[in-house]
Amino acid sequence: MLTPEQVKNILKENCINLRFHARGGQGGVTASNLCVEAFYGYGVCQPRFGAERMGSPTESYVRLSADYNLVRDNSAVYAPHFVSVLDPSLLTEVDVTAGVPHGGWLIVNTTMNQLEIQDIVKRKDLNIATIDATRIAFDILGRNITNTIILGALVRVSHLVTLDELADAILKRFKGAIAGKNVEAIKQAIEETCLYETGNDPDFSENTKVPYQQVSLGLPGYQELDIAGVWYCDEDVIEVGSDQVITGSWGEYDMIWDEEKCTDCAQCWFICPDFAILRKKGEDGLWHMSGIDTIHCKSCQNCLEICPVQAISKKLKQSPASCATPE
Amino acid sequence: MSIEPMKLFFKPIKEPIKTAMIGNYAVAGGVTQTDPDVICAFPITPQTQSVEGLSDVVHQGRLKAAFVNVESELAAMSYSTAACAAGARTFTATASQGYLLMAEALPMAVGWRVPLTMMISARAFNAPNLSIWNSWEYTLIDFGWNCIVSENVQETYDAAILSVMISEDSLFPTMFVHDGFIISHSVQQLTLIPDEVVLNLTPKKPRHHITPEHPGTWGGIVTPDYFMEGRLGLDIAKKPVLGQIEDVFKRFKKATGREYNSIESYNLDNPSKTAFITMGSVCGNIISWMTKNKDIGLIKMRTYRPFPYEELQKIVQEHDIEKLIILEKSDSLNNLLPPFATSIATALYPLGTLFRTFIVGLGGRDVTKDEFDVAKKKMQSITDMKGQLYQYLGVRETKNKMHGVDI
Repeated sequence: MLTPEQVKNILKENCINLRFHARGGQGGVTASNLCVEAFYGYGVCQPRFGAERMGSPTESYVRLSADYNLVRDNSAVYAPHFVSVLDPSLLTEVDVTAGVPHGGWLIVNTTMNQLEIQDIVKRKDLNIATIDATRIAFDILGRNITNTIILGALVRVSHLVTLDELADAILKRFKGAIAGKNVEAIKQAIEETCLYETGNDPDFSENTKVPYQQVSLGLPGYQELDIAGVWYCDEDVIEVGSDQVITGSWGEYDMIWDEEKCTDCAQCWFICPDFAILRKKGEDGLWHMSGIDTIHCKSCQNCLEICPVQAISKKLKQSPASCATPE
Repeated sequence: MSIEPMKLFFKPIKEPIKTAMIGNYAVAGGVTQTDPDVICAFPITPQTQSVEGLSDVVHQGRLKAAFVNVESELAAMSYSTAACAAGARTFTATASQGYLLMAEALPMAVGWRVPLTMMISARAFNAPNLSIWNSWEYTLIDFGWNCIVSENVQETYDAAILSVMISEDSLFPTMFVHDGFIISHSVQQLTLIPDEVVLNLTPKKPRHHITPEHPGTWGGIVTPDYFMEGRLGLDIAKKPVLGQIEDVFKRFKKATGREYNSIESYNLDNPSKTAFITMGSVCGNIISWMTKNKDIGLIKMRTYRPFPYEELQKIVQEHDIEKLIILEKSDSLNNLLPPFATSIATALYPLGTLFRTFIVGLGGRDVTKDEFDVAKKKMQSITDMKGQLYQYLGVRETKNKMHGVDI
């Protein structure tokens, strides 16, 4: 791991790139903003632009350097030296290690240990830091917002900003008691972060971008697309329809249906925006509720609120902390 | 109506008829003969009679088409594009501010590759004052529509039929333009083509269209992963269009005897090695003037979009033209040259041909031998491409003084 002095020296002639993977609503963009606000040199932060929705995968990027010209690049960050993943389910959904150089850092909010993560991302050349940010968030903030907590882990491994600088930025941005609680959460995160080091540091002077990543090779080209840009439902050209989007991964909770309590009133079936309430026609010729389609349920909790007999309950997806590989 | 200007078209036309009509009614007649399924346009001077005429033939029962009233040009273009995408042969028409109001919907007709046809009675757009008279507003925005320009009533009648052929062959929407009032409201002689000939030229061919048997999303959002692929696809599909247009002209000539080309030239092998280049009604003015000015030529652009730059280069090279006088009825307050001249200048760049642009005839100002004489004279002393490359011609500076001209 680099020392604060080494990092300062690197920043004089290099740009250090960060990438945050989060889900819409988890505060990945705020986390990247805070990095830039806390950083003493020049920094830019940009989100991956789009129509993000609560729970859908998002990315935001940070460039930090002491040289202004090095952070003037307005393209996305394709070769991050530090990757922060705010939600462990993203490890399987998004290529979080794309373009990360050997010796780069992967920081994950998870209860998994580093060997499990190596298996998932299929890379053994990365330094890995884990933090059970979700538990800290519930303990201190009272809600599952992990963005500042992941920054604690980042402070621990990167020395890009100090705790004091980060606390300053947070106090400027957040109001009232929540600002102090966030600082407290970061302090705890710095202590609790588990490190798994390969002994290598990334080469900051090299750009390890995957060539033409922005062109998404593998998708159909203009010769294979429809001449009028039409997405035909019965062709396998482009995946179409909302049922192709695995909205189930967007949710924070698993919804649980209690067959005993359910009266088949079907109010949940009507209110569900994703047709995730499953029904079957029974022998009596009537429709009966049969379960919840977890692949598409994004835990909006409309069903839970409308159910008149409390037959639907919720359970946090992430399990409580297990032991991580000790430092 | 006590006068029935469209009466000729109430009955089938069995053989060529010589008659005289204003440009707009002639277009209405030509469109009638192509048997459109949907007609949808919003009235605007000087385009109005073309759609009025079509409402007449629909009302008479001669034409079995849906005649749709809409609340604006934006609605007209949106409706027409959708109707055409649904498989209907569709016609619309507009001018000036109406064309600008359509702007938002114009690109999708191109993107969906619908063979829509639109007539434009070219009219100035409003600034600094309202003008209902002729300028070339259609050169200002270009989203990939095909565009052919007519000089007189015969040509604009023929263009109504040619445009349907070009649209159907290229699967790109086509606009055909005549100069507002100068042609749209002038009575000129023309020969009508028999219905059977028109129908043979414009068969309704099967093509992609919206259908419940093949459901899909038209115009849906794509992420950056797909948009450039779509644009390149369109660009490549545009490449053969000029050839398709030439082919359409050939078929038209075979059926009617009237010969058209993307670029037509007159007296290019002249001693001064100089030629005018322009399009639309002003070509007629120049041809008349040229009967007494035999030392200068004329290049008349019929196909404006796609711009036939290779053919233009070929003509300029073959006839060894050294100087071109561009006459243009539009201006650009910001660019080095107005739009028509910009296209020509780009084509001429590798040849190094000298040129100057004269902005004439804006807002209905007549263009006469005075302008041609001055432009020709001014061009004689041009020996390089330095300084401002355009100038307004035929403008008062003060009560008794012309701008840029000594009288």
